[in-house]
Amino acid sequence: MIELTINGKKVKTEKGKTILQAALSNGIKIPNLCYDKRVVPFGGCRVCVVEIEGQRKLEASCATLAGDGMVVLTDTPKVRRARQAVLEFMLVHHPLDCPVCDKAGECDLQELVYEYGKPDGRFVREKKHSPPDTKGPLVELTANRCILCGKCVRLCSEYQGRGALGFIGRGFSTVVQPAFGEAIECDYCGQCIDICPTGALLNKSFKYKARPWSLEEKDTICPFCSCGCTLTLGIREGKILRSRGKEDLGVSGGNLCGRGRFGFDYIYSENRLKTPFIRKEANLEPSTWDEALAYISDRLKYILSNANGSESVGAIGSHRCTNEDNFMLRKFMQNVVGSDNMDSSSALGFSRVRKALNMVFGLKDHTIDMKSPIGKDVILIIESDLSVTHPVFGLNILKAKREGAKLIVADSKETKLTKHSTQWSRIKQGTGVAFLNGIMKVIVDKGLFNREVASGITGFSELEKSLEAYSPEKVTEITGISSEELIGAAETLAKAKSRILSFTLSPSENTKCIDTILAASNLVILLGEGPESLQIPAEYANTYGAYSMGIRPDAGKSEGKNLFDMLYVSGSINALYIMGEDPVSVLPYKSRIIKTLKSLELLIVQDIALTETAKLAHVILPASSWAEKDGTFTNAEGVTQRVYKLIDSTGEALPDWQILRNLSSAMGTDMAAGTLEGLSNEIKKTIRSEKATSNKRTFHPVLYSRGEEPDNEYPLSLVTRDILQHSGTMSTRSKTLNLVSSEAIIEMNERDAKRFGISDNSHVKVISRRGAVYLRAAVSDEVPDGAVYVPAHFPHSGISTLTSPSIHGGIAMETVRVEAA
Amino acid sequence: MRVEDLDVNEMIGDVGKIICEHDRKKGVLIHAFQKIQQDYGYLPGEVLMTLSKKLSLPLAEIYSVASFYKQFHFSPRGKKVVRVCMGTACHVRGAKNVLNALEDEFGIKQGETTDDLAMTLETVGCVGCCGLAPVATINEDVVGDIGKKKLELLVKAIKEEEK
Repeated sequence: MIELTINGKKVKTEKGKTILQAALSNGIKIPNLCYDKRVVPFGGCRVCVVEIEGQRKLEASCATLAGDGMVVLTDTPKVRRARQAVLEFMLVHHPLDCPVCDKAGECDLQELVYEYGKPDGRFVREKKHSPPDTKGPLVELTANRCILCGKCVRLCSEYQGRGALGFIGRGFSTVVQPAFGEAIECDYCGQCIDICPTGALLNKSFKYKARPWSLEEKDTICPFCSCGCTLTLGIREGKILRSRGKEDLGVSGGNLCGRGRFGFDYIYSENRLKTPFIRKEANLEPSTWDEALAYISDRLKYILSNANGSESVGAIGSHRCTNEDNFMLRKFMQNVVGSDNMDSSSALGFSRVRKALNMVFGLKDHTIDMKSPIGKDVILIIESDLSVTHPVFGLNILKAKREGAKLIVADSKETKLTKHSTQWSRIKQGTGVAFLNGIMKVIVDKGLFNREVASGITGFSELEKSLEAYSPEKVTEITGISSEELIGAAETLAKAKSRILSFTLSPSENTKCIDTILAASNLVILLGEGPESLQIPAEYANTYGAYSMGIRPDAGKSEGKNLFDMLYVSGSINALYIMGEDPVSVLPYKSRIIKTLKSLELLIVQDIALTETAKLAHVILPASSWAEKDGTFTNAEGVTQRVYKLIDSTGEALPDWQILRNLSSAMGTDMAAGTLEGLSNEIKKTIRSEKATSNKRTFHPVLYSRGEEPDNEYPLSLVTRDILQHSGTMSTRSKTLNLVSSEAIIEMNERDAKRFGISDNSHVKVISRRGAVYLRAAVSDEVPDGAVYVPAHFPHSGISTLTSPSIHGGIAMETVRVEAA
Repeated sequence: MRVEDLDVNEMIGDVGKIICEHDRKKGVLIHAFQKIQQDYGYLPGEVLMTLSKKLSLPLAEIYSVASFYKQFHFSPRGKKVVRVCMGTACHVRGAKNVLNALEDEFGIKQGETTDDLAMTLETVGCVGCCGLAPVATINEDVVGDIGKKKLELLVKAIKEEEK
């Protein structure tokens, strides 16, 4: 620690910090335009100049290291004069078009000029003329408002790892632009909009919608992935107009991805449900709440009065709904229906993670730590692009890499993580288990582990035996990477002082399975580490919460029917209550699910919009969206955060928990949870979080197996992978996000494209053993040959027509053939 | 040079041992641009794209570096690059007339290239032979004392060697 004096106040700071950092961390404000703590100091704007005792000239405090005993003055007449002059220079070029600039009111430059004065400078020069660059879908760039502070350029390249913008040209004519002045093509995270100190970079979807000072800003939690970032929503006249991140706010520290920033407008999609609907003959007809609840009550009571009545009723909960909603669903099922037949789509994702980690470590909980990558020696990623599925967690992986961690990525597709990796092992799709086993084999053969400890763990001899089949030569044959690569990765991993393994498991990705978790666990145990080295995040905003609330078949006294029983086995149940889920679009093997749902006596769908599943229902109940109700979400870290009712419900829609409460009353059971507070208290009493630590270790050797083998008829493997612009299916209702990506595009390698006569951007028919769909094709060198890649987000693209689930947890990679359409 | 064959470590030499990977890649950019321009006459977009992939540096970063230097060009250049000197001495001796005459003759403005890629017309600050003003250069050759007659010769020289 060093001590310096700023404005007469003694402050302490760590060695290596700049004067500006020392001041800011001690609550002393120094104005600045080009400083952002996420990027390397730039010293470009010169607004943060300060006087340092004993130095003749002023120094930029953002780029001068604080020294022991330094005496700094930040607000003397000399400093103020210098700042005024700097601003005067900026205004030579910067137009004073504040009346038509969306940034006015929250513009750093405007604030400073207001404070320091002199908008009409002494210098007369031609102003830069550049009309706004509106070519990009979401971000608008007005170059003449740019003061070249370079925050966007640096943040995009250094922090986001994208580098979509650069300083183009030299001298007076320098502009910030994408290469060749083309449309911005980037991750569309919109971070540059937040940090731009002027109105040069603006949110196109918010343009001319409202002045910032007329917005009411409220913080809530993002409804998409499980990072659980805090969104600051701007609301005017009861409508959400924009979303932004505020520095240092929430688990993400103010970082947002494009989904959180632009995707909130899914709640304004046209097919939001406004009233209940009841099926009369073939048609769904609008009804009142009383009618709908009475109808459900009658039908459900009738079904329950049959023999095994309660056993024939099931429910599906939702990661999109709050903890309170899910808890109420569980109460409804257990107290009113008397059944434990409950599950959610996480049966194909997070539930499997929990199951595997329970087997291996005896864990009753699994959370990740978003900051876990920071400071680790080695980060190993298996067939996942965390910067797509969990963008803010992904940022921490990139940060760790920048700070010196070795990033090893085993993946078949080129992703942002592979681009930033130290080693990219391009394994064939779905061969992660073989890769992990191969690494273990190398570690065991070379004795890179503590044999004494490991051999004392249950299952070690079985593991050692199972690894016989994974010699580097064999693994090369399966995965397609060289044995040197494998040995290199194994050595790096084993010799590291600290490490994490990270990947995702979700219903929308099909190259990983429960075996991947087991293999990864084996590797971690072999290296003498525990479950904290496995960072496998839950999929969506409240996946973790829904699971904790007991939306799973094994939460009650008896083992209830699971997702597969309820959706893939006709006749297993007679009535199904689906809350906030769209199995027809989300889960694999659409035709089978439709068949099962059609065979039901009663299908109740409670959702915010008319989904494909809702179209099959006997009764549809309109639910409030995430911004229209109070409640809590629990993120992948296990942190429970409030979401707030910010706007009025759409039509007659009600929060999910209220619908269930009302239905219970209609059926004659008083739930005793009339209010949200009552419900929260009950949750606190009932749901006890169990500590995520355990000393149990067991090896569970797994063998590599794959899904369908490509053959002459179906020569390509079908890989489903998430894309950055969407999360689950609800985001596809966002018009703003759809400006970037509005349909499932099937990516294939140039060689495959040639082989099947398909050209870039043309339409193709994709046929699997289960069905066929028409998609637009993209020829891409990011994907290997022999496989096609497609995102499963878009209900209208019908990817679930092609796929099938793996009921026992193995890999369910389909094979397909493609024809030019 | 094929961009695919570019060897960063070889190009950067011993300095590479003491700088980080990112700086190493950034450090070779100008050498790479010069080699590309030698082969193509300019920096074609798709070649820069390949370079971006090869070095895994963002295209914007690469373009940013290239656009800083006047020596790099992003559109095809003519076989003959004609530079009309606009320096002080040439200016007073009527450089503007020379430029206008060439612009009229070839139907292009300064900074442009003829459609058949035969000639690129540029202006330059000073060539360093003010005694010969007004001066123009055709590639490496200097033509001085451009009067009416010399102008005709100049035009002829430009046209002649097109073939």
